[in-house]
Amino acid sequence: MSFDAEKEISKLWRNLHSAQAEIGKTYYRWRQVALEIAGPDADPREIGLKAAYVIGKDVGKGLLPRLNWLKGEEGFMMMLGRSLAGLWNVEGAQAMAEKGEKPGEVFIKCARDPWPTYAKEFDVPMEEVAACREKMFQSILEDVSVFFNIPLNIELEKAIPRGEGMWVLRLYKAE
Amino acid sequence: MAKLLYEWDYSSYPGAKAYPNLFKPIDIGNLTVPNRIKYAATEENLNARDGFVTDSGVEYMRWRGRGVVGGLCFMQGVYMDEAAKGQGYVGQAGAWHDKYVPGLARIAEAIHAEKAVAGFQLMDCGRVGAVEVPEGHGPSTVPQRLRVFKPMKEMTNAEVKEMVKQHVDAARRGVEAGFDIMEISGIVGYLISNFISSYTNRRTDEYGGDIRGRMQSVVEIIQGVKDVCGPDIPVGIRLCSEELLDDVRGNTPEESMETYKIAEEAGVDYISVTLGWQESIYPVISRDIPMGNWTHLAKRAKENVKVPIQMAYRLFKPGLPDELIGKNELDIWEMCRPMIADPLMPKKVLEGKEDEIRHCVACNLCLARLFRDAPMTCYINPVCAHEAEPVFVAPPKADDEKEILIVGAGPAGLECAYVAAQRGHEVTVYDKRDEIGGTLNEAQNAPYGDDELWTCIDYQKVMCEKAGVEFKLGTEVTDDIIEDEMPDSVVLATGPVYTDIQGNDKVKVVNVLDVLGGRAQVGKKVVVWGNRKPGIGVSLHLAQKGVKTTLIGREKTAGFDVNPSFKWRYMIYLRQNGVMAYNDCMIEEVTETGIIVKTYDGYRFPVECDTIVLSDRQANESLKKTVQSEGIELFVVGDALVPRNLSSAVHDGYRIGMRI
Ligand SMILES: Cc1cc2nc3c(=O)[nH]c(=O)nc-3n(C[C@H](O)[C@H](O)[C@H](O)COP(=O)(O)O)c2cc1C
Ligand code: SF4
Repeated sequence: MSFDAEKEISKLWRNLHSAQAEIGKTYYRWRQVALEIAGPDADPREIGLKAAYVIGKDVGKGLLPRLNWLKGEEGFMMMLGRSLAGLWNVEGAQAMAEKGEKPGEVFIKCARDPWPTYAKEFDVPMEEVAACREKMFQSILEDVSVFFNIPLNIELEKAIPRGEGMWVLRLYKAE
Repeated sequence: MAKLLYEWDYSSYPGAKAYPNLFKPIDIGNLTVPNRIKYAATEENLNARDGFVTDSGVEYMRWRGRGVVGGLCFMQGVYMDEAAKGQGYVGQAGAWHDKYVPGLARIAEAIHAEKAVAGFQLMDCGRVGAVEVPEGHGPSTVPQRLRVFKPMKEMTNAEVKEMVKQHVDAARRGVEAGFDIMEISGIVGYLISNFISSYTNRRTDEYGGDIRGRMQSVVEIIQGVKDVCGPDIPVGIRLCSEELLDDVRGNTPEESMETYKIAEEAGVDYISVTLGWQESIYPVISRDIPMGNWTHLAKRAKENVKVPIQMAYRLFKPGLPDELIGKNELDIWEMCRPMIADPLMPKKVLEGKEDEIRHCVACNLCLARLFRDAPMTCYINPVCAHEAEPVFVAPPKADDEKEILIVGAGPAGLECAYVAAQRGHEVTVYDKRDEIGGTLNEAQNAPYGDDELWTCIDYQKVMCEKAGVEFKLGTEVTDDIIEDEMPDSVVLATGPVYTDIQGNDKVKVVNVLDVLGGRAQVGKKVVVWGNRKPGIGVSLHLAQKGVKTTLIGREKTAGFDVNPSFKWRYMIYLRQNGVMAYNDCMIEEVTETGIIVKTYDGYRFPVECDTIVLSDRQANESLKKTVQSEGIELFVVGDALVPRNLSSAVHDGYRIGMRI
């Protein structure tokens, strides 16, 4: 049987993108379920942030075995930044970690993010998408901070839902 | 004057001449121990789920008591809190109430019956605890790195004081149960080590802070335990000499040595040197770590404190500890796994029967079982954890003595042969090879310590010789031989057959055994077909020689047949050696340039190679029909039955040897 590389790769690529989109949409389908159960008085943004927190906590636990202090604080911060960017990339984004100017400062930059597009399909405000991204990363850091005994924070500096340019998040050691 | 519990005179024994330092007495506190041998505390999950001692546990310990020939024999660490937060294993012995004393006394009595010194160990499992409850306890709420362990809750100051008291109360129960020596376990990530480590102790009260603060609860435990033990029962502690936790900001080696000095100041009568944590990323006791790798740590401990120093950790043979004791770099030779694998190991050393020792192969299956809530099993010792069952310990003489023909002199056939012969059968082992050992002849050439697996064959050879097993090597068993001999029983231990793949002019196909045995040449790019242990072994063997190696197999993960306590090592070595592994795949086609791989979900991709190494195995059906058609009793053992591993071969062989 002859092997057609183009055919195989395009099939794989299509399926990967469908899987990413399904995961994104399923997140918003569940958000819909939560809103319906919570009733008309519930604040959708609060529910979204709660979900981001729960997801971030779990993702953070999964990160612990993959991080280490072997290269000291600077190396650790960069490794963490790369891991956060990597998690975003798995979801279909184009993100990277960049060393900041201050010691231990790392910027996570994302040039392309599919989540705002999924969100739009479900009438989710873009502000919520941005707030949830920040919340999710912050809750990832909770266990990581305690585990490595270093107070960490991450803040959203710029969000560009569905626009040109970059998302920018600043990861740093909180004093 | 220190007290000697039992008189032992080793002077007439060959082992005492060969290893004079091992068989000379030592004073530990006010107790004289006649030799330098210690069976180190070992959880075996043999107790009842509520912590009560069982017959299996007592007999397990009796055998180890016999093995130390007068030396120290420690029972497993007990947990001490009613809430069971300190319980790390479903079958861990409890000592949080006086109701446990009679059961514990049975263990002390069993060890005393062998004229050995009975040791009691206190072990709150801390971060590794709470096996039956939702939340563990520790100095601080540091999250778990591995999800298998329960979340931690920081103990209040009052709870720390209560924990100290629990140790003291449990020690009193140990004394009441009749134990002669007391040990506090600060090993591998359990509660004591959690308090000591900067990684897990972030407290700001008197039980945290600098290394003295982090040792405070330990000092209080030592002093409290010493009080209840009195002058005649020595108290020791197992302490980490190196945590190997630099990746998570654990203690420095200097801090660890400081803990030794503080423990000595607090009054311990000996220190047992340990290293590493369950959570550490560095291997410490697996087969890839050479024997004797850690002895410098005992030496360093001796340079830092005056109390006797004990140590285990891959000290599997008597020569090295004897030498170290002679050089004053160690005082007592501890053993855990060597005496799981052969409870009578030191006794055989003393009696000059070293060739009859069944050696531990450092696979860590015993450890993996504990974390799967299963009773202890030893990879290499089928009797382990069956000591209370006479049929295992000494399989009874057969009612009818049979003529047994065993086909295959690999580990399954040899194991079966000597057990059956010991039971009175007339056993002949055939093999088409000129030597015994079966596939282990080649498998032992895989890297990272697999040469140690051959100790199994050495042992079986001696046992077969002693039991009078007859060998017909260099003889392939045919239908004619079976028809001519007409034995009462045939045991097929022929090993597996290999799944065949057709090569072509450009891609040649060779067998894993021929590669490991040096009989087959491979090219520059190799695909190994079969992702179980043999495939991993040959991949690493080739990758180390600079061959670009890809491992492909149908199992969902490579090394599916290797226990998790060792498998993680192989995963790292595959990565380090640049071996690419594709799991859950088939080889769909062999092309001019290599192969086409097909994943379980239908994706296809090419892998370039010039050689395919076959290591995927199947059951061996040969000779079965002939034996059955002649009406001869038939047994199939080892890989011939279902391709598995050395352990299954040995266990199958032993069990059929018992039954036949
Ligand atoms: C199955 C198993 C159970 C163990 N249980 C205990 C225990 O209860 N208390 C303890 O202090 N150490 C325990 N250990 C550690 C051993 O006592 C020993 O220090 C370690 O296995 C290294 O020695 P070895 O190379 O002779 O096996 C255990 C080890 C194993 C393999
Ligand atoms: S299971 Fe493996 S490591 Fe444990 S004692 Fe047996 S051979 Fe040794």
